[in-house]
Amino acid sequence: MSGAVKFAIIGFSFAMLVISLLIGLWSKKKVTSAKEYFGSTGLFGPVAVGLSSTAAVASAFALVGVPGLIYSTGNAMNFWMLSSAAFAMAYIILGKKIRAMAEIGEVASLGDISDLRFNNNRLIKGLMSVIIFLGCIAYLAAQIKAGSELFNNLLGWNPILTGFIIFGILTVYTAISGEVGGLLTQAFQGLVMIVAGLIIIVSFFVMTGGFENVLEVVANAGTISAGDISKSFGPDLLNAWGVLPKSISMAWVIIPILGTVGQPQVLTRMYALKDPKDMPKLGLYAGLAHMVVGFFALVVAYGALYLVGSGKISPLAVADNAIFAYADYLGLYAQLFVYAAVLAAALSSASMFLTLSGNIIARDLPSALGKEFASGEKQMKVAKITIYGIGILSILFSLTSAEMVAILGTFGWGTLMSGTFPVFIIGLLWKKANSKGVTVGLLISLVLNIASLAGLKWPGALPWYVNVISLSIMATVFISLITKEEKIGEKLDLVMDL
Amino acid sequence: MDIQGKRTGIVVLIALLWGTISILGWNNMYMPGLYLGVLLMLLHMVLGVSAKQKLSLKFLVYPLLPWAAIWALSFYLSDMYANAFAGVMPSFSILGFHPSFSWTVILYWVGGMLTLTWGFIMNKDEWLSSDDWDEFKKKVALIDQKQKGGQ
Repeated sequence: MSGAVKFAIIGFSFAMLVISLLIGLWSKKKVTSAKEYFGSTGLFGPVAVGLSSTAAVASAFALVGVPGLIYSTGNAMNFWMLSSAAFAMAYIILGKKIRAMAEIGEVASLGDISDLRFNNNRLIKGLMSVIIFLGCIAYLAAQIKAGSELFNNLLGWNPILTGFIIFGILTVYTAISGEVGGLLTQAFQGLVMIVAGLIIIVSFFVMTGGFENVLEVVANAGTISAGDISKSFGPDLLNAWGVLPKSISMAWVIIPILGTVGQPQVLTRMYALKDPKDMPKLGLYAGLAHMVVGFFALVVAYGALYLVGSGKISPLAVADNAIFAYADYLGLYAQLFVYAAVLAAALSSASMFLTLSGNIIARDLPSALGKEFASGEKQMKVAKITIYGIGILSILFSLTSAEMVAILGTFGWGTLMSGTFPVFIIGLLWKKANSKGVTVGLLISLVLNIASLAGLKWPGALPWYVNVISLSIMATVFISLITKEEKIGEKLDLVMDL
Repeated sequence: MDIQGKRTGIVVLIALLWGTISILGWNNMYMPGLYLGVLLMLLHMVLGVSAKQKLSLKFLVYPLLPWAAIWALSFYLSDMYANAFAGVMPSFSILGFHPSFSWTVILYWVGGMLTLTWGFIMNKDEWLSSDDWDEFKKKVALIDQKQKGGQ
């Protein structure tokens, strides 16, 4: 890659970073209370919330890891990437109830909803916060690593310096403007991903001539080798299931689709919506944005398979480089948008998980331990310091503990789901869900998440988190069923009947 | 449709379905697992849509049941064509895709997304009408007033 191209990519990506910073600084004006700083509660319309939700859900893994997986193992991962119906489903299941909770008490974090539902039960709030924090840190570390390595590979910069420049800026605007700036910058970054996606989708058709040519190449290419690296092709790579055990495809249908309703980045956006009656429109906007991002990942993977299978580029030494190999082949315009899109994906998810982690440390966990702040001002001050602290520690941790980040990388989606399903999904859909059931469900989730992190082996080829989620939900339901029903307040009763 | 008294049964069924799907997954019985997965999602949406212990039949008829049928059909066709062309180049393609994957694109992705999302918009009042929301807020305000008065 020539120096001029590198310069253009840096300029384009940093322009996006600077615009994000400016949006964050501007958003500070909109923050007038702790409720707005922590939750953006009831502040935004469906377009901003929809773009932000898609951007926060689609992490750097969606644009880098997913094409790599499809390149290596075929279409199974596309079930995850083409899960655009999940937004409407999430809002149908829980949208009005989560939004209604913000009408019966102060809601600026998930811990607040837990308090309202389970009568300020500290153990539930504490356990849930620890599980969500674990998932957030895993996500945050993975985004920082991906974003820093992107520029490290491109420019040969020191990863820690790169991490501090990119994610240092992100930490500053996130700390200053809280969830308000977080949501608006994510919406902007979502827009960048969509524009990049549309350009790359068009370029795919121009380059390959369409999917039929890709199928032809992949079915007939056999094995392509260059030096020590080889890639085997075959028609089964492009059937619906790919070449992984088919139970993995099953998991990659159920977990992303149903799991979307259990992601904090989706739950918190439900109460950020101004008018709950806009929830169906929100489902449409988020779903359409997700469709573009999902198709973006699909064409990149198919494009890389086509290029390698037809001998236009050498087999990839690292499958995760599929998106960069594809962009490099297409030329400058693709490189500009692909690098910016990957950075946008990393930034949007990182800012989401940074504010979530900050909220947990500065707001939910202290309250679970019985510590209340004297004022909203004081709480925001503590949160800002916490966000700076978590930001700096995460950058250092991500870039100096590669092995631990890789292990934590298996956490995230499933861990977050196992921490939120007992409290919010079962808890808000079923009045008989009681604090004993939810506590046991969360305890099982925490213990099994940590045991899985430590290497616990599960039967079959299913991803481990499916087992953890199942056991945690079953425990919540059956313990609630056999223990005494708890009386719920009048206002909560109205929410649950809505 | 009145679901009073059925809610606990549905939640227990949801818990049992999670367990069953995991066991099916351990044994690579992915097709029954996928069909039960559709049922699992449908039950969550039934609970989410129902208000005041009543499920809107209109919302069930569209979009929920067509969405469930579209997804079940998508998995069936994807598996049928994967088996029909296992290890060989398919004799035809649909939209340029392998016939097995084409149904994932057409039914699972586009069909599922449009059916559920568009149906949600078309029948939004069955999910939450302006009257229901206003009534809810009024009742909350009344309770607040009552509680303040009692202090």
